[in-house]
Amino acid sequence: MTNRRQTLLCGTAIIAAALTFAAGEANAQKRGGNLTYANVSAVGTMDPMVANAVVDLETIHHVYEGLVAMGEDYSATPMLASKVDISPDGRVFTFSLRKGVKFSNGKEMTATDVLASFERYKKVSPNAPALADVAAMETPDPYTFIIKLNKPNSLFVEVMKTPTYSFSITPAELKDQPARELEIIGTGPYQVAEYRKDSHILLKRNEGYTPDMSAKGPDGYAGKKTAYLDTIRYNSVPEANTRIAALQSGGADFIATIPGDIAKRLKGRTDITVMSVIPFCQATFMQHAKNPPLSTNRFLRQAIASLVDAEEMMEAAGQVWDRNPSLMFKPSAYYSDVGAPFYDLHSVDKAKALLKQGNYAGEKVVLETNNNYAYMRDSSQVLVEQMKKAGINVELKMVDWTTNAGDMARGTGGWNVTITGLCSGPLLGPQQWRLSLAYSQNPDDPVVTEGYAKMFATTDFAERKRIWQGIEKYFIEEGYMMKVADIADLRGMNDKFVGIKPYYMQRFWDVWAK
Amino acid sequence: MNLRVLNRLALRLAQAVPVLLVVAVVTFLLMHLLPGDPAVVIAGPEAGAEAIERIRHQLGLDRSLPEQLLLWLASLARGDFGRSLMLNQPVLVALGERLPVTLSLTLVSFAITVPVGVALGVLAARFRNTWLDSAVMFLALVGVSVPSFWIAILSVILFSVILGWLPASGYVPLSDGLLPWLLALLQPAAMLALFQIGFLARMARSATLDVLDQDYIRTARAKGVSEWSTIAKHAFRNTLIPVVTATGIILSLLMGGSVVIEQVFALPGVGRLIVQAILTRDYPLVQGTLLALAFLFVAINLLVDVIYTWVDPRVRYG
Repeated sequence: MTNRRQTLLCGTAIIAAALTFAAGEANAQKRGGNLTYANVSAVGTMDPMVANAVVDLETIHHVYEGLVAMGEDYSATPMLASKVDISPDGRVFTFSLRKGVKFSNGKEMTATDVLASFERYKKVSPNAPALADVAAMETPDPYTFIIKLNKPNSLFVEVMKTPTYSFSITPAELKDQPARELEIIGTGPYQVAEYRKDSHILLKRNEGYTPDMSAKGPDGYAGKKTAYLDTIRYNSVPEANTRIAALQSGGADFIATIPGDIAKRLKGRTDITVMSVIPFCQATFMQHAKNPPLSTNRFLRQAIASLVDAEEMMEAAGQVWDRNPSLMFKPSAYYSDVGAPFYDLHSVDKAKALLKQGNYAGEKVVLETNNNYAYMRDSSQVLVEQMKKAGINVELKMVDWTTNAGDMARGTGGWNVTITGLCSGPLLGPQQWRLSLAYSQNPDDPVVTEGYAKMFATTDFAERKRIWQGIEKYFIEEGYMMKVADIADLRGMNDKFVGIKPYYMQRFWDVWAK
Repeated sequence: MNLRVLNRLALRLAQAVPVLLVVAVVTFLLMHLLPGDPAVVIAGPEAGAEAIERIRHQLGLDRSLPEQLLLWLASLARGDFGRSLMLNQPVLVALGERLPVTLSLTLVSFAITVPVGVALGVLAARFRNTWLDSAVMFLALVGVSVPSFWIAILSVILFSVILGWLPASGYVPLSDGLLPWLLALLQPAAMLALFQIGFLARMARSATLDVLDQDYIRTARAKGVSEWSTIAKHAFRNTLIPVVTATGIILSLLMGGSVVIEQVFALPGVGRLIVQAILTRDYPLVQGTLLALAFLFVAINLLVDVIYTWVDPRVRYG
């Protein structure tokens, strides 16, 4: 079911977008044009191996490419590799590299660069543990790169498609450059012309770009990419009202993240389209597995989980949203309804019964949230009220996002319940979910450790899916993860450009000016 | 300026050292008392505990607080303000890149505030208890009461979206031309000036009223000097004494107010730098920038004192 607000807004957006695309496709593709993108913050780093913010990544993936990338359906798709051969035991991965691919400095990319990039990754990336099982990396010839693992991992190639902490290939000469101090040289369709930290970054077309001619066209972050635009300028405009004003007045051609309530200001502008990207993230509460009283009372966890009211929480925040009981988004091959019996119960009576069953004696429960994201703040306030109605002694702790994120990642701050938006895990699969599962502070839970070991060991997709469903059901049933809803990201654009399509992280290759 | 004045100025500068030291220690403690961890911001929310701890170690955040404070003070003594954790550049370089934006905004705003504020104040005093006086005081009240971010957003909707006269956001360096620079700054500077105009107009009105009641003004009028000459030649200079004091404060307030205005108009200045640094817990950047600003405020106060001696020869150092 899709809620009314979303139906209205998306209906308008889809119709307008369809008209734009239909009219646009009629225009001939041509080189030229300069697009200005007003984003929510500035690009913090252009080092792909450490970057994790969407703002950074959207820029980075115009400049850098990896051996594989996420395709249009978010599956692992060859990019700088022409093909990947996996040994039957799931331990040896042989990447055949595309020939003639050049970096933006004109040098040809070879296996030496790939090896150096992976070596640098192991040194600087926060995601270096992803390579912990690598036994050896070899370059038998300039166009072949082999990775050998200590133990089987059938999802290893899926791990490498991640846009976050990207496994991008950079010239071998840069392998000793420290984290966040990497010289910006990639193989992507654009290169950096000007970078002013905390202000703007200007990309210009990489004239020496080598597209993947084996692909029919662009395919997510992979495929045959064509850079039509001369430049793309990413401006940092943190204030949403100013971003909208910039779009309305022609100061920006594309803007990110429009709050649902003020998107209606763009109504009636036939030259502006509001594009709804959903699912973008999922709003999810977590319960701390190590802090009492929740750690010692599963009935209390389940009681709190039974109070989640998706509609009231999302409508309170004016959020464009969709119901979804799964920890996976619908396009994912791992999507299932194992979470459905526990989803959106909003039942105070059930909570009271569970509290009684668990002999709850009024122990204090701390719910930590932040004031930076409306849907997190408002969902938390709704949950607090529900908890009070059920008779739970709850304390709402409001902090800023930096504090909230830090407490969530490290389990500090004394929280029992907290909320976040999970984006890449639900989209990209179980391998991406693993780190987010740790937010509930139980990464050492045998269900996780043994489950993932079995999942990596099997090459049978059906078996992997069954194992993931077991993990997912466990986290939901035990109340560690309390899914609220899938949420959208609203973006705005004017009618000067053709080819802009909704995607998790925005792309501007194969986009041209009218 | 004689030797005595120079000595006095040197003494004032020396007195600023303990002030700056207190600012340094207080800023350091306030930042470190804030919850939140820059290592988590750098590593990202999906990073594991091990990666976060590694970054904490690299940044020296795993040392004790007194140790971190002493290390920072020692580097300050060497003239090293530290290195921004997020921008990955020396604090002074980061500050130097953004200072021209904030100074431009402050100066344009100051250039609007002072003549408009003083003129409105003098006019209100001259026509006291008339509709003009009431109108000026009402505007002054609105100016000091309305939140700057709200009036700034309304201004953007009116002047950028509806009328299309001025850009909604962004900064154009002076090197790209005087007119584009001025057009980019006009709206944010005017919004920044609004609050201070109200403050200055009230101050100038009050000072002018005091002066207009003085005997020498009555004498000038009795001699038959025209009203405007009386105000311009006799009253105005004496009105300036409290106004000069106020302008010193205003200059500091304008720099402080730029924090909000730079955020709304997406100007890459020091104000926005501080906001971002606080949000990401970029300790060296916040500490270094606030210390540099404290030094700037001390310098402004010193400058005001010097101007004082010029405006009112009765004021002497020593």
